[in-house]
Parts: sequence; structure tokens; C-alpha cells
Amino acid sequence: MDKQEPKANQQKKMWIQNTWELFKETKVGLVGMGILVFFMVMALASFIPPLIDDMYIPLYGNDPEVIGLSPPSLRHPLGTDYFGRDILSQLFEGAKWALIVGTTAAAASVFLGTVIGLVSGYYRGVVDTLLQRTADTVMTLPAFAIIVVIGSVLRGISIWNIVILIAVLGWPATSKVIRAQVLSLRERAFVESALVSGASNFRIMFRHIAPNVLPLSFLYMAFGVTSAILVEAALSFIGMGDPTTVSWGMMLQWCRASGFAFVAPFWMIPPGVCITLLALGFYLIGVGTEQIINPKLRKR
Amino acid sequence: MSMTKFIARRSIEIVITLFIIATLTFALFRMMPSDPVGLMVHPLWTPEMKQRQRALWGLDKPYTEQYIIFMRNMLRGEFGVSFFSQQDVYGLIKERLPPTVLLFTSMNILSFSLGMYIGRIIAWRRRGKFEYGSTVLGMFFFSMPVFWIGLLAIWIFSYRLDLFPIGGMKSEIWGVADISLLTKVMDIGHHLFLPLTVGVIISFPGVMLMMKNLMLETLEEDYITTARAKGLPEKIIRDHHAARNVMLPMVTVFTLSLVSSLSGSMIVETVFNWPGLGATFLAATIGYDYPIAQGAFIIMGAVLLVAILLVEILYAYLDPRIRY
Repeated sequence: MDKQEPKANQQKKMWIQNTWELFKETKVGLVGMGILVFFMVMALASFIPPLIDDMYIPLYGNDPEVIGLSPPSLRHPLGTDYFGRDILSQLFEGAKWALIVGTTAAAASVFLGTVIGLVSGYYRGVVDTLLQRTADTVMTLPAFAIIVVIGSVLRGISIWNIVILIAVLGWPATSKVIRAQVLSLRERAFVESALVSGASNFRIMFRHIAPNVLPLSFLYMAFGVTSAILVEAALSFIGMGDPTTVSWGMMLQWCRASGFAFVAPFWMIPPGVCITLLALGFYLIGVGTEQIINPKLRKR
Repeated sequence: MSMTKFIARRSIEIVITLFIIATLTFALFRMMPSDPVGLMVHPLWTPEMKQRQRALWGLDKPYTEQYIIFMRNMLRGEFGVSFFSQQDVYGLIKERLPPTVLLFTSMNILSFSLGMYIGRIIAWRRRGKFEYGSTVLGMFFFSMPVFWIGLLAIWIFSYRLDLFPIGGMKSEIWGVADISLLTKVMDIGHHLFLPLTVGVIISFPGVMLMMKNLMLETLEEDYITTARAKGLPEKIIRDHHAARNVMLPMVTVFTLSLVSSLSGSMIVETVFNWPGLGATFLAATIGYDYPIAQGAFIIMGAVLLVAILLVEILYAYLDPRIRY
């Protein structure tokens, strides 16, 4: 503790460097980062297979020499599915969608949660009560069931609507944590001096208080990605996914619906492993961040 | 505040939440851009016949009137009949509710006790192999999609090893032969084992990791230092001083975990073909059978709220602080 300089003297660069040092120390965070990088490479590579040959197009590619299901071979390292599509290129495509859906849904829900938490904690009073009651109600709603109903009523939902729904139903947890922080931050001297020097409420909230709660937002975002990926996968699996998108959940749905779940493990296992690992990666990044933010959790 | 007052207040709050859920159900199922009559009628019906069907269902009335009728029917337990099979929804729910209650309660009781027990131990014994192992395993289970664990379990234990039935709740022999009560219970237990295990596997890590974090925060408190200074045995400090104080925030974790385990149990029911309300709801919603979906949705909401109320009452009974 005594080695650390007072925070005010540190340059921003130093801060980032320090955070990275701490993050590396946590190990779990580093493992999570490793997993994330692996899947990012996989997602970036997803455009390559279709360039090699048309039969590697994830959604409708077809190998003229293979009819339907085939076990792993040289042409198809992970085999082909019931419709003769290459499983490996589908897996690449799935990585892309998992990352897109996971991060955008989590970012949107954390953005909503942070803004609502800031407003709620800063203004207090009626605004706070109203927003927090709403948060309590949304929290006890069975979100998954609601998304399924909306999907059914609207006759299928696109991947972007799934993202929006996850965000709209997922913000309360973040807002509660941010609000608690803001309640204590707004009593600090720097808020008072900003008020005295004539800063507007908006400026105080977003310019002075917000930077202090951003690490917490980031933490909730990491956990949010995990749950968004799992929700999307579950929706696709029960048949409520976007049929024009090759996601890992969709692959498992095709596998089960065609009745080959227990006959073709080479089809059933890889998508599940990928979902688990990517969700785990983000979760580990979250745990690493949590250990930096909350020193009580660090190993002594 | 006395216990009765606490229960009365929470019950009123829960009735209000149930009212919100019912209103939401009404609104959600009427967001439909198309006409529900178009879903189930024969394509050769004339417009007049469709009109008559709409009037029969009360769809020609304004939304406000429909809403009042809907609420009145829900209160009376009249959920209507299925669009397709013409089955009475109330009867169907009555038949599907017990399996769901069985799976949902046993799953939550087991995952709470397991999660709290292990969480308590690993917070105390840090840096040990046990902490490392259970944390890693817990994180893995936490990140696995429920349906996939379910598929794996069926594939390994039912399909390959033939140890457990592939799905359902009862063997076919029930309808044919006269069997004793004990055999019946054993049979249901045999069918319950896999779905229950999968349900516990997905829901206990959250409780465990939360318990561990809360315990670690409690360890910094002054009363723990005091207890140590008094020379109390570690086990007493852990179970009587730390764990008891952690219980208060844990109740919140419990109620939220109940909400998320509801969606988990819906998927578990679907994968294992368990004849419960969750699977019925999902199948009906995806198959556009809205009377069944509506009824199942509301009853599941009610089950969830009652479960939350029970957890709170049980805990308020144990810890007077929660009543204030």
C-alpha cells in the first residue's frame, strides 16, 4: 500500500498500466482474456471457409460428394450435419455471432443500467423511488419466458430484437449497484466543488461521477456477456432463434430437431463446448475485474 | 413489526405483482399483428363465419372491455380452451402443475443447501485444493448451457449406459398393471434423477460463489476479529458469527435465483420431456396455442411468487431483522 502514490498524481497512462498489472496478477482474468482472444481469432476467420469453396458456406453450403450427415474427414474436419453443411465453418460463424450478440446486448443493458443508476442515485427522492420500484419489478419478471412470448407473437424475432430484449430486461442489476455507489460518491467534496463552480446536474453526473463508477459498469458488462450468450443459445435451442443466423444455439437446435443428438456426438458436442468456453471466458474476465475493484476478494 | 403484519404486507405486495404479471400477459398476447382467428380456422371459412368466431371469442369488443373480462376469468380460474385440441386449459394446468412443483422445489432446496454449504467452506479455507477445484468447477457449470448439459446427460446415462429413462415422469406400466405405491414413488424418483441433477448442477454454482464472496466480506468485520480475540474455535466463528450474518443478503440472492431457476427448469423440462408446466408453456407458445400459454404463464408466475414468499416467511421467522 505504501508504495502507491496518491491517485491524483497518477497519469491516466499509469492508471491503465497499473490496472493491467493488477489484472495480470489475478490470473483468472488472464485466462479469460486468453479464451476471448481465441474466439476473436475464430470469429475473424469465419469469412475464410466460404472463400475456399462454396460448400463451406455455413448456412446453405453443400458438398456434392457428401449426402447428409458425415463423420469427420479430411474435407470436413468436424464432419457435416444432416443437411450436408460443414460443421467447422458453422462453428466459426457461430463465434462471430456469439461475440456480436453477447457484447452488444451486454453493452446496451449496462449502458441503460449505468444511466438509470446515475440518475436514480444523483436525484434521489421521487425519481429514485420510481426508478428503483421499476427495477424491482423487472427483476422479478421471468425474462426468458417474456422473450419467448414476444418472439412467438411477432412470428419469430431477428437477432437484433433478441439483443434489444435482453438489454431491456437485463438492466436492473447494474442500476442497483451503480446507484449505491453514486449515493456515496455524491456526498464527496469534488461534487460539491463542481456544484459551487456552477456545473450543471448533467455535467456533474456524466463528467464527474460517471468516471468513478465505470469500472463497476465494466464488471457488470463482463458478467452480462456471459448471460446474454447463454440466453441467446437457449432461445435458439427451443426454436425461437433467428433461422437466418448460424449461431451455436441454432446448431444444437438443428441437431436435436433432426433427431441426431445422440447418434452424432461430433455434431452435438462442439457447439456446446464453444458456448461454455466463451461464456466462461467472459465470466473469468469479470472475476478478475472484481478482484481489482474489491480488494477484499483478493488472495492474501 | 409482528410476523403477521409482515406476512400480510408481503402478501399484498405479491398480489400486486401478480396483477402486474396478469396485465403484462394480457398486453403481450395482444401485441400480435395478425388475427388469432386466422390461426385456427379452416382456410375455406367465409368472412361471416370468421366474424362469428371473433364475436364468440369476444375479440370484437374494445380492449378495455376485453381486459376486464380477461381479469375476471383469470380470477375464476377460467383459462379457456386450447386453440387446437379444444382441451380445457384449467384441467391441463391442474395436471401439469404437480410435476413442476416437484422438480422446481427439490431442485431449489438441493442447490441452495449445497451452494451454501460449499460456499461457506471454501471462503474459510482459501488457497486450498478444495477451494480451487470447486471454484473452477462451479464457474464451468455456471457457463454451461442448461439444455446442452441435459443432452449430454441423456446421451451418456440413458443412451449409452442405459441407467436412466430417456425422458418423461412415469413408466408405461402405470396404465397397464396394478402397482404398489412404493414402486410408483421409486419409478418417479428414477425418472426425476437426471433432470434434478442437471437442474442442481446449473443453479448451485451461483449460490456457492455468492456465498463465498459474502463470507469473505464478512471476514473483515470487527465482530469476527472480536470473536477471534475471544479465542473461539474457528468452526464456531464460521458457522455462528460469519454465516449467520451473511444469511440476510443471501435471502435476496435466493429470491433472484428462484426467478432465474424458473427459466432453467422450463428448459430442463423440455429437454427431459418432463410433463410439467414449463415445458407445456414453451411448447404452447412456440405452437401459437395462446390460451394454454397464457394460463401456464400466469400460474408459473404465481408459483414463483409463492416460492419467494415462502423463502421470506421462513427467513423472517428465523431472523427478526428482516421484518423491519
